[in-house]
Amino acid sequence: MTIELIPAERFSMQELTELYNQTRVDYLVPMPMNADRLAEYVHDFDIDLAHSCVARTTDGQPLGLSMLGVRREKAWITRLGVLPASRRTGAGSALMDFMFAGATSLGLKETDLEVIKNNTPAYNLFLSKGFTETSEYLVMRRAPHPITNPLQGIVSWLKFDEALAILQSYPHHITWINAYESMRNSPDFEGLRIELPNGGAGWLVYRNTKYTLRSTLSHLIIHTEHGNPQEVGAQLLLNLHNHYPHHDTYAENIFQGDPHLSAFKILGYFANFSRIEMRRPFTV
Amino acid sequence: MAKILYIEDIQDNITLVEKIVTSRGHEFLYAKNAEQGLELAFNSTPDLILLDLGLPDADGQTLSVWLRGNPALENIPIIVLTAWPEEVVQHTVEAYNLNGYLCKPFNMRDLLQIIDKTLGAKAL
Repeated sequence: MTIELIPAERFSMQELTELYNQTRVDYLVPMPMNADRLAEYVHDFDIDLAHSCVARTTDGQPLGLSMLGVRREKAWITRLGVLPASRRTGAGSALMDFMFAGATSLGLKETDLEVIKNNTPAYNLFLSKGFTETSEYLVMRRAPHPITNPLQGIVSWLKFDEALAILQSYPHHITWINAYESMRNSPDFEGLRIELPNGGAGWLVYRNTKYTLRSTLSHLIIHTEHGNPQEVGAQLLLNLHNHYPHHDTYAENIFQGDPHLSAFKILGYFANFSRIEMRRPFTV
Repeated sequence: MAKILYIEDIQDNITLVEKIVTSRGHEFLYAKNAEQGLELAFNSTPDLILLDLGLPDADGQTLSVWLRGNPALENIPIIVLTAWPEEVVQHTVEAYNLNGYLCKPFNMRDLLQIIDKTLGAKAL
């Protein structure tokens, strides 16, 4: 089969959305999108549609697509998918080669991606393309329910600029979707900082996305400046959920070794699935 | 007989469930995304909602929060139909105060059983 690779910028957002949804129809976690959500995704995560790609046959039958995020010297491969009937045809490999060529032409130094744990065919494709594992992350949910634990500490609520400034001080690695640039691109970014009576202190930043009918909290990042991370993290989350008692919450890409994991669990978060982050330098 | 709303974005699944549900004489409604589903739930007040977790605008968990958060809809039973791993679905059903689940692929008998069990006398 001859595969044509066409820059994604030549397709409408609706066409890209329909193709993306078809590639995910049988996924472990399908996560379909509509055109508005995909447009928001492209904006928030700095997707470069000129260097993203649609694969199709020479007679125009779509095979799959992949997107490339670009920030400074780094790339991020995302939304890669091939239609179920077109798998094992080399389309996934061709899509990746297209993006490697684009990233190299842009002078980028390395690329990251995340793959859902147990998606073995995709994982093996990435290994064969020179990616190695860096970390494993959890995607967690919390349904709204009343807070009964006592609240402690002095809380300062952080507006967009304050939340961005504090996120810049975060000393650990953050995946692409939670990175400073992603939050800077999102108007609904905010946070809180806490000082506990025992000297513990820390902050929590997040997105408070307003849907038509109800808001949702997502993209949470917690940092403990002083004290016990479980205690500081639990008080940050308690204050957050007490402030937003009716919000559904989606915490993506929480590092498996994050010292605040137990705080999330205390607050009723549960794991939906895991993602493996992988990296490939372009100098190899 | 009951009025059953199915919120699911994949047409093949809608067609299959419609056949099963109407074979028992129930009225069948469907919506392909969360906002349409919410609107249809408001306008038609179904006896039961069958809910997919992966929807294109807001996912099934978020939609269930919207449904449960509205006094006019909060008592409508919600059954999750999903291909997600069973352990995750169990947590989801418990945390979001839903009424049950069926993991795909399922057969006609399984679906009718859970509908009958959930609806009780309304299923007759």
